[in-house]
Amino acid sequence: MKKIASGLMACTLAATMLVGCGSSSSSTPASTAGSASNGSTEEEINLKWALWDIDATAYYQPLIDAYTAEHPNVNIEMVDLGSTDYQTVLATQLSGGADDLDIITVKDIPGYSNLVNLGMLEPLNDWNTTDTSLYGGLVEQITVDDTYYALPFRQDFWVVFYNKDLFDKAGVAYPTNDMTLEEYDALARQVTSGEGADKVYGCHYHTWRSAVQLFGILDGEHTIVDGNYDFLKPYYELILAEQNDGICQDYATLKTSNIHYSGVFYNNQVAMENMGSWFIATQIEMVKSGESQATNWGIVKYPHPEGVEAGTTLGTITSLGINSKSSNKEAAADFVNFVCGEEGAKVMASTGSFPAIMNDEVVNTIASMDGFPQDENSKEALYTVKTYLEMPMHEKSADIETVLNQAHDNIMTENCTIDEGIQAMNEGVQALLG
Amino acid sequence: MVTTKKSSIVGKVIIYALLILLAFTMLVPFVWMLSASLKLNKDVFAFPMKWIPETFHWENYKTIWTKIPMATFVLNTFKLTIIVTFLQVLTSSFAAYAFSKLRFKGRNILFLGYIGTIAVPWQAYMVPQFMMMREFHLNNTHLAIICLQAFSAFGVFLMKQFYEGIPDELCEAARIDGLSEYGIYRRVMLPLSLPAISTLVIFTFVTTWNDFLGPLIYLNSTDLKTIQLGLRMFITQYSSDYNLIMAASVVSLIPVLIVFLALQKYFVQGVASSGLKG
Amino acid sequence: MAAKQAAATAPRRKGMSKELRENLIAYSFIAPNFIGFCVFTLVPVVAAFVLAFMEWDGVNAAKFVGLANFTRMFGDPNFKAAFWHTIVYVIGTVPATIICALALAILLNQKIKGRNFFRTVSFFPYVASLVAVAAVWNMLFNPSMGPVNQLLSSWGVENLPKWAAGKDTAMLTVILFSVWKNMGYYMVIFLAGLQGTNPELYEAASLDGANKWQQFWNVTLPQLAPTTFFVTIMVVIQSFKVYNEVYMITQGGPGTSTLVLVYQIYNEAFVGTPEYGYASALSMVLFLLVLAVTIIQFKAGEDKDKPKKKHVK
Repeated sequence: MKKIASGLMACTLAATMLVGCGSSSSSTPASTAGSASNGSTEEEINLKWALWDIDATAYYQPLIDAYTAEHPNVNIEMVDLGSTDYQTVLATQLSGGADDLDIITVKDIPGYSNLVNLGMLEPLNDWNTTDTSLYGGLVEQITVDDTYYALPFRQDFWVVFYNKDLFDKAGVAYPTNDMTLEEYDALARQVTSGEGADKVYGCHYHTWRSAVQLFGILDGEHTIVDGNYDFLKPYYELILAEQNDGICQDYATLKTSNIHYSGVFYNNQVAMENMGSWFIATQIEMVKSGESQATNWGIVKYPHPEGVEAGTTLGTITSLGINSKSSNKEAAADFVNFVCGEEGAKVMASTGSFPAIMNDEVVNTIASMDGFPQDENSKEALYTVKTYLEMPMHEKSADIETVLNQAHDNIMTENCTIDEGIQAMNEGVQALLG
Repeated sequence: MVTTKKSSIVGKVIIYALLILLAFTMLVPFVWMLSASLKLNKDVFAFPMKWIPETFHWENYKTIWTKIPMATFVLNTFKLTIIVTFLQVLTSSFAAYAFSKLRFKGRNILFLGYIGTIAVPWQAYMVPQFMMMREFHLNNTHLAIICLQAFSAFGVFLMKQFYEGIPDELCEAARIDGLSEYGIYRRVMLPLSLPAISTLVIFTFVTTWNDFLGPLIYLNSTDLKTIQLGLRMFITQYSSDYNLIMAASVVSLIPVLIVFLALQKYFVQGVASSGLKG
Repeated sequence: MAAKQAAATAPRRKGMSKELRENLIAYSFIAPNFIGFCVFTLVPVVAAFVLAFMEWDGVNAAKFVGLANFTRMFGDPNFKAAFWHTIVYVIGTVPATIICALALAILLNQKIKGRNFFRTVSFFPYVASLVAVAAVWNMLFNPSMGPVNQLLSSWGVENLPKWAAGKDTAMLTVILFSVWKNMGYYMVIFLAGLQGTNPELYEAASLDGANKWQQFWNVTLPQLAPTTFFVTIMVVIQSFKVYNEVYMITQGGPGTSTLVLVYQIYNEAFVGTPEYGYASALSMVLFLLVLAVTIIQFKAGEDKDKPKKKHVK
């Protein structure tokens, strides 16, 4: 009897999965977009916002406060799914087409492409009220077939952090805002010194694939989802040479010892460090608390290959989307428009984070933060001319990423030659692209 | 007896040397935890490693209680662990008695079914399970974790194997004395299986206490979360406070060690055989 | 086995109602655990097996695809890698873990000073924070500056192994780590099992002139049979299901050199577009593999049981 009962339950469960979620919401943007902007109906509205790191993130609460000040009838509940396992937990929460969450924070492009593939995100073309040209090309990079399913509200771009004291000690001139890769490499070699505990590395690449590979896409001629990776060879050669010459710490040690990029910078062990702009706020805070001993520091623009304009760099975006099963799309869209629009951008900048909409005002706000380096170059470094996403939008981006990461790992630990690694990438990704 | 005194002394020395070496390698992680918990975050993974921090940052042990609602997490974890351990030990020792000492229809099939599910990785059925629990409206409740953890096949298997080691003659004798099966379980089996029960208590306690994936999937509200989820709160997208993680880990290790040490006294030889004589 | 002895006594109690009553009593013992187990574990597991024949992304309607998920494995290089790595891991881990755990348990069952201390310490790697355990291990085996390689180089070893970062040594590193981390856990089970052994048998054996080794082989081991059986099955199952140890030491790398089945199952289900169908099919392969090994162990256990039981009595 028990067997039958449990069999029945399993069948029901399987049937639920077979049918998927039938209860898709019926409200459509076309019919209601007009009234979306004045969300001041007296009705009480509750929205659930999926995100991560509530306590460690400066801007969630200010954004909600700023919004609910204008819309007192809206109540926004944050649902913290944790940053490390965000994608796994989100996938589980949304399984079966659940409508529990209204607003979904999109952490990265592979995550975005998954949600789009699954049909979990509402197309935003008709809901959006902000001029997309303000985003400096970011929206275009996440548009699929003329439709975009999320709007960026935060962006980060790669710069070079450098330790002025170490440069002074070595008697080497500071890096500049216009460095070719060769100049940057030469500089790194000059500033490297010492042995053992006194060793100072000229530069530092975290174990992320993007820290090495993505020099290759700055010229705009290749993308990381091409299926052919021969163009990466010179960059691997450059960085492996640095690694073998002791100019940067070797990948295998970094990876197996879990060495975090911030610790080596704080401890005056690296003169230059390529890192995202998110590290600015952390470094400022750590200098204040005394944990970072790299108190005399600055930032300059990311180095670029010969012939590419200075200020061309890599970036990541954090975006907001709306659950296509949500029953509160109208209110959710209004909130998304606020956060991702110019009003939200001001709030973001005031907390020291880079909003997706960048302008002089935002740069000034951030550069005038207490603790931000005082030299002109550092402020100038905040202006970018072109930001390529670390991973461009592609249907298979998550799977491509897996292949590339495996090959990268093999090349950097010198378990295979550069050519073999690139061949593995070519074959693996071409197999995925079909 | 057979061995001479001299060779037994040599043997002792070898045994102790071996044990001390072993204890050393086993203790290293703990020493590392302690050392890391008293450092600044930037120095935790610094190479070469310093075992004794330059300055002792005892304030880490204060920070963990204020930076996250650690007290709530500790309380939640205690609540879950105690309930789960109690249910697990009770139901599985009960079921194991039937599997090892009673004969009934479908015994082998049922038992193989139990063990079979241990072989299926949780990652494979996590999503169907979550959907089912959501249908029961159990997601984001402690009850979900209790239901998932309290009825494991592992406990039944463990207890069954220990009962197998208890001679059937004891049960037979008790039956002849007129004890019911429940009476035999209560009066004969339970007292004789104290080492086994201690083992199961320790294992269930540790598993539930350190469980991460279950609470991660099922508990979203901060006031429901457990210590292991709390530890993850120190790992954020852009930085990880490993010194605080280690301080909290040291704290969370204490109850586990207390349980382990407290149950040591039941690891005494001859419990089962002393029953034989009586 | 108990079943057979019970079978022998059964005919003495006559009548169908008696048998029914016995069945009911047995079921009443099992019910509290079994009902919970059925609802919360068995049902989802069965559902996952159903999914193995479907294509499902977790959100939209699942589609029946027959055996497509299984035929797909033959052309999947990741599956081939994961499958063989899992086998290698199991072969490398299982005997070593059992032998170390048993040796440790016997050692710590002697009357020695500081016994409780040593017992507790052996359990440490299992309960200590995963991050700490992995960090210490990676530090000891650091390819360039770790003490293990420093020792090797002082012995004049050239071409020092790269351990976790080396294609050929990564799996060995994971295996060593697993044995070290888990032997304390199984030691506890053996220890509990040893408490059930009868000390009088040792006295009898030593009077017969048996040396320590003979005592172990002829007295201890047979008495420990149910415990060893349990430990063996659990170590085998847990080794086939290895995930954490790999995640902590190598994350499946370098490249795919330590990719194991559960790692791949996790990737298929949660990295990239969710493919729960394929992940379930992979789990089913894992399940069948483990089931086959377990049944062999059961059979072997039953065969061995008879002569040993006799010996004890």
